[in-house]
Amino acid sequence: MSETPLARIRNIGITAHIDAGKTTTTERILYYTGVSYKIGEVHEGNTTTDYMEQERERGITITSAAVTCEWKGNRINIIDTPGHIDFNIEVNRSLRVLDGAVFIIEGVAGVQPQSETNWRLADRYNVPRVIFINKLDRTGADFFRAFATLKDKLDIVALPLQLPIGIEDKFEGVVDLIEMKAIIWEGGELGAKYHDAPIPADLLEQAKEYRQNLLDTALSVDDAAMEEYFEHGDVGIETLKRCIKAGTITGVFRPVLCGTAFKNKGVQPLLDAVVDYLPSPVDVPGIKIAAEEGEDETAERRRIKADPAAPFAGLAFKIINDKYGTLTFVRVYSGTLRSGDSVLNTTKSHRERIGRMFQMHADKRAEIKEVSAGDIAAFVGLKDTGTGDTLAANEDPVVLERMAFPVPVIDISVEPRNKESIEKMSLGLQKLASEDPSLRLRTDQETGQTILSGMGELHLEIIIDRLKREYNVEANIGAPQVAYRETISRPHTEIYTHKKQSGGSGQYAEVKIVFEPLDRNSGVVFENKVVGGSVPKEYIPAVEKGIRVQAESGVLAGFPTVDFKYTLVDGKYHDVDSSALAFEIAAKACFRDGMKKAAPIILEPVMDVEITTPQDHVGDVVGDINRRRGMIQNQESSGSTVIVRAHVPLKEMFGYISDLRSMTKGRASFTMQFHHYDPVPRNIAEEIMAKSA
Amino acid sequence: MQEPRLHWMRGQAIEEAGAARALEWIGLDDAGEPIARVVRILGPVSAGWRHYRAVALDTEARVVQLRPPPPEGAFWLACVGGRVVGRAALPLQAVRRVEAALGD
Repeated sequence: MSETPLARIRNIGITAHIDAGKTTTTERILYYTGVSYKIGEVHEGNTTTDYMEQERERGITITSAAVTCEWKGNRINIIDTPGHIDFNIEVNRSLRVLDGAVFIIEGVAGVQPQSETNWRLADRYNVPRVIFINKLDRTGADFFRAFATLKDKLDIVALPLQLPIGIEDKFEGVVDLIEMKAIIWEGGELGAKYHDAPIPADLLEQAKEYRQNLLDTALSVDDAAMEEYFEHGDVGIETLKRCIKAGTITGVFRPVLCGTAFKNKGVQPLLDAVVDYLPSPVDVPGIKIAAEEGEDETAERRRIKADPAAPFAGLAFKIINDKYGTLTFVRVYSGTLRSGDSVLNTTKSHRERIGRMFQMHADKRAEIKEVSAGDIAAFVGLKDTGTGDTLAANEDPVVLERMAFPVPVIDISVEPRNKESIEKMSLGLQKLASEDPSLRLRTDQETGQTILSGMGELHLEIIIDRLKREYNVEANIGAPQVAYRETISRPHTEIYTHKKQSGGSGQYAEVKIVFEPLDRNSGVVFENKVVGGSVPKEYIPAVEKGIRVQAESGVLAGFPTVDFKYTLVDGKYHDVDSSALAFEIAAKACFRDGMKKAAPIILEPVMDVEITTPQDHVGDVVGDINRRRGMIQNQESSGSTVIVRAHVPLKEMFGYISDLRSMTKGRASFTMQFHHYDPVPRNIAEEIMAKSA
Repeated sequence: MQEPRLHWMRGQAIEEAGAARALEWIGLDDAGEPIARVVRILGPVSAGWRHYRAVALDTEARVVQLRPPPPEGAFWLACVGGRVVGRAALPLQAVRRVEAALGD
């Protein structure tokens, strides 16, 4: 696919809080780069990247969509991501494979919670970013206030490359601080026509001050540029752009541009900034290979550099199942691959044959015969490759750094309405889960119900809707439940002997297991410390499996047990009567008995809640949060509104939106996202246990 | 943009991420005499059991402890002769402090 030189490829994501204008900006980009002949609008349900029925009906982005465009001789692969926290997995996996990102910040509200969450994700993956302060045409928009939130909330060195000319309905263009000129949009041809002009006199002094700040900050990353400055009292545009690019890639500062995508102003300079300051695949240090087991995750390891002639290495980051089969999206980091080639799935240690390959344009596809380093493409024909798996050449079977997935916090039960739907539902759910690593499926061992765990009510609602529309499954859905977890709070050692004689060969296994609590988010860890063969090697996996299976159903209320370590320290076996099954049964029983003695507790998800309310309702809102067992973190005034931040148990947040609306006459709004798991108070734990009994 | 009055040249350097970066910029007068410098503040550093919050190199590349440590966000010292005339976050800002001090 890559006829474009690597240095002229940009793989970027567009990310922001919900409704900040990601899809609207993407639409303008596609129009100005000539990919679309008309601009789609989110509110009209006809945008390119929101192609799912649910996206068009609801006016929100649910799944990330890849599109490609050309700008001034450069190929830009763009992934438009969702803003709603329930679909954060899409942002997560996109940022993981992209070389750069455009962060869109709302010009009225500034940095909002989801922008902060996505920013931290981009930090985790070291993604260079440019910031676009959008919606400057809106009533209440203020570039400088939004700019100030960048420092306050993200703690970054934000570097303005532009200043707005006019604001709200008077916004007409920007001052370009690099070339010290004004860029004015003419209003016609959907923003495609604009012209350069002298900087308006009333902005000249301010522009000079900001340009000096630009020079001070940008040149500090390049000694040769400093020397040029000392010699001439200024630097050339190319030197300045080189410095801005270097600072952007290293993250020393973050360039800031501005405009209003909806009113078609500011998007073309943003495209210039993407090309000028965000890295091509050869400008980044390369992707790290994964740490070996037991190796320090943070240690420096070998990196795979973008080189089409090197052995192939790519990362599968997204799966889509549609009527034509399974499409696996792959970011190619090195090498070249042709359709029909075979590669190793090094994560799962098996071979995969590449059938057909496509360049994706949202839901449309164009077949290609070859992909190489720097490309993003979709493969058909992979049998068992999931999100986060590495595909690599035989001669260098590397495993690339894995992806981290968010923790689901809400459960619902689903049951097929009729016999015909049983198989269809199982197949449909498996396919949906294979597409979405933030969706988990399990079977409740006591009720036999299928439990879906997801990121929020909206996430699960969309999954059920897709199950119905795409797989034609009629199902009975239980009310959303909090995804409680169980854990232990003190160590305990348990010995269990499983002995059964029922004619013929019997069953015999004895295990001695130490159960210990771990820190939150540590998962379940197994260690084998058996010495002298008291439990033969071939039975160890059965013990590990027995506990893992049983941990799915905790001893208090049947919720999955997490954050504990179990160490097999001893045991006994019988030459004739022992088997893997006997050891698995013994391990399960040992878990059931041992956990009860290790001070088990129930954990509940606690959400980070941000409520924006008019000043006169703050008292009601805060009082209500306290009644919901919430802990107020802080309050911040912004004009006539107050932003209240609190940590509130998810259990208390069901139906909150209607209570908040009635409390504030519909004038307040809120967002929430998962923050951490905390033990539930004793009275609530008893309530939960009574309900499960 | 106001042109610098002094002639500035790279001074001592340190290797960072495989490249030499200036730790010091030296300001020369028209006769080529070094009369000012801006120098990067380093730290915190540990030497044996001693711990320094902020240090800088003097003109002879000796490590000098800065007491009291500079305020948050000040990474460069502006010096005229042996006297500190200002602190700044960025080297060009420190250069302007030096030039302002010389103009006073």
